[in-house]
Amino acid sequence: MKCAYNEDSLYRLEAIKEAKRWEKGTFISKDQLTAIVEEYKVNLYHPNLMIRLLLFVATALGLSGVTGLFGTILFSGASRNLICTVCILYGAGTLLVLEKVMLKNNHFKSGVTEAIMYYACGFLICGIGGLTDFDLIALTTWTCVIVFSLAAIRYLDLLMTAAALLSLAYGLFYHLYEMGGIGQRLIPFVFIIVFAAGFLMFRKLEQKKSLLIWTNNLMVAESLSLLLAYAGGNYFVVRELSVNLMSLQIEEGGDVPFAYIFYALTLLIPCLYLYFGIKKKDILLIRVSLFVFAFSAFTFKYYFSMGTPEITLTLAGAIVFGIALAVMNYLKIMRKGFTRENLLSEKWAATNIQSFVISQTLGGNQAPATQDTPGGGRFGGGGSAEDF
Amino acid sequence: MTKNLPEELLVKNLITQEQFAKVKPIVSGKIISLFYELRTLLYLGVMLFTAGAGILIYKNIGELGHVAAILSPTALMIGCFWYVYRTGPAYSNEIVKGPTPYFDYVLLLASLLFVSIQGYLQFQYAILDDNLGTSTLITALLFFYLAYRYDHTGLLSLGITSFVSFWGVSVSPVKWYSGSFFEQANLHVIAMILGVALSVASIFLHHRSVKKHFTFTYLNFSLLMFFCAAVAGLFIDGGIYGIYILLIYGGCAFSYYAARLSRSFLFLLYAFIAAYIATTFFLVVTLQIYNSEYLWFWYSIFSCGGFVYFIIRFKNHFRQPS
Repeated sequence: MKCAYNEDSLYRLEAIKEAKRWEKGTFISKDQLTAIVEEYKVNLYHPNLMIRLLLFVATALGLSGVTGLFGTILFSGASRNLICTVCILYGAGTLLVLEKVMLKNNHFKSGVTEAIMYYACGFLICGIGGLTDFDLIALTTWTCVIVFSLAAIRYLDLLMTAAALLSLAYGLFYHLYEMGGIGQRLIPFVFIIVFAAGFLMFRKLEQKKSLLIWTNNLMVAESLSLLLAYAGGNYFVVRELSVNLMSLQIEEGGDVPFAYIFYALTLLIPCLYLYFGIKKKDILLIRVSLFVFAFSAFTFKYYFSMGTPEITLTLAGAIVFGIALAVMNYLKIMRKGFTRENLLSEKWAATNIQSFVISQTLGGNQAPATQDTPGGGRFGGGGSAEDF
Repeated sequence: MTKNLPEELLVKNLITQEQFAKVKPIVSGKIISLFYELRTLLYLGVMLFTAGAGILIYKNIGELGHVAAILSPTALMIGCFWYVYRTGPAYSNEIVKGPTPYFDYVLLLASLLFVSIQGYLQFQYAILDDNLGTSTLITALLFFYLAYRYDHTGLLSLGITSFVSFWGVSVSPVKWYSGSFFEQANLHVIAMILGVALSVASIFLHHRSVKKHFTFTYLNFSLLMFFCAAVAGLFIDGGIYGIYILLIYGGCAFSYYAARLSRSFLFLLYAFIAAYIATTFFLVVTLQIYNSEYLWFWYSIFSCGGFVYFIIRFKNHFRQPS
């Protein structure tokens, strides 16, 4: 499967983005940036994130009108098979419009392209699934896997990459689950092995020069593989799924089969990720490890609660704050290539976003408490405490 | 994808040897920055700690241990404020960098502990029994002061939210679906006035060059509040919908100005959604387009298609100035 875009154009676009980050980090001057932008000029239409969102919303709204119009004209009492066939044709037709109209006009992830693509994929999947009345779950799932991966590869879409991997995981789970007995028992181990192997494979692919334009997709796939492998071994996930889906009865004092393996994995996998992250200086592994550490803490807390959530919260907060302070102090000077300084800004990390998060997660946005709940709403952070 | 860009630019003479030496180890991953990871951890720590401390104080009210439960956070808060006071940089209208990377978080911790302790005092001694509003206002003023004094955008947004909650408006787009956005009657009018007042104040401050980097936060809150209130008003006061539609269009014009001023096209997104709702509302009421399915679908195709065309046609206008 080939990418729908010209490789050289994409490289130029990426080079300009990178140079902009350098300029923000004051590694190069503004004049140099202008010169680089001039040198790598490219005529792809790739607006900034907000305009993309705007175009996405507008296109999606417009497309809903198109669907409605077609729907009312074509189907007044048509059979299901006919509707599904038309859906598939319509999805394919939409993709053709995307290729012939939008891509020919140099749109690259412009918001319009994404909206049309998701829309087309939706119709294709619904059409194929609908032919069997969604009875064959396996068919629908594998259709999802195929359609999503092809879209991800051809249009370099990150969301589609994640969707493809998740539907693959679901397919895997579904087949093992249907096997019953030993198959169900093996689900956690199969997940760990498959997705650990998947991670290593994606890593390998990332090094290949010919696959350079898919770097971001591969990074999404790597992070998700790490998370899925962890989820396979996580005690909470295993236990809750066993109880809910496989109707496992856990008696008082009893536990899931091989419980100790899962306890160990819940603790070990995050450590493993962090260890390799630090050793290989891999920021992706470090980030994922921090995330899964939090989930492991939650898992143990969930089953071994001392019944005093507030003390746990306070202590956990103090510990996390303390660790971060200690690491910051340790990295006052650069050690082993790690630094606490901000080198190159990341696009999602604007301070404005951070301040918004602060105001939304930490109290302060409650209206004055009414008399019924005296004081309760007045504690900063009291609102966020509900989640724990 | 751009791992070899530094070499390429060096060969093309677009960067100097010295710049190459600086950039290369970062791009190749030899040097790794833990800046965002450490900040996230600090923030998480503050959040967990203050949430826990808040409940701890609340639960122990009236019990023997409550003196201890209130004294230790108070001591910690005083310690944090003392640290901030001693090491804090001088005031400036520009962006001020804290003396340490964790300075901002110590200040945040102190401010949030203040809210918890104030809540306790209010409950225990009923000092401000009938004046819940007053205490909210005090909190807001303290947040505003600290935000400006120590240049803290997070405290600024906390200040804005508690200031508007003093007027009874809960500004939380995260919680809007719970339907508690406007609890009292006519609250949408208050919210609109607050939105206008805050944005006028922020534009004034922006032109006086006072903390220009705060403008975005102000405008974001005020526009969000204004549009939500005006759209709500459209449905609440159906009789005078014309006024609300004009107000929304006025807000859109201002959004365009605000978007260019703060270099953020987020405001255009708000404006588009609000204007689309208002226009559709108008057409539904006057032309009753919903009576015919065809008309309705054609409307959405042409309105949205036209809008997309407009944005792309004038794309140079919507380019982020770098």
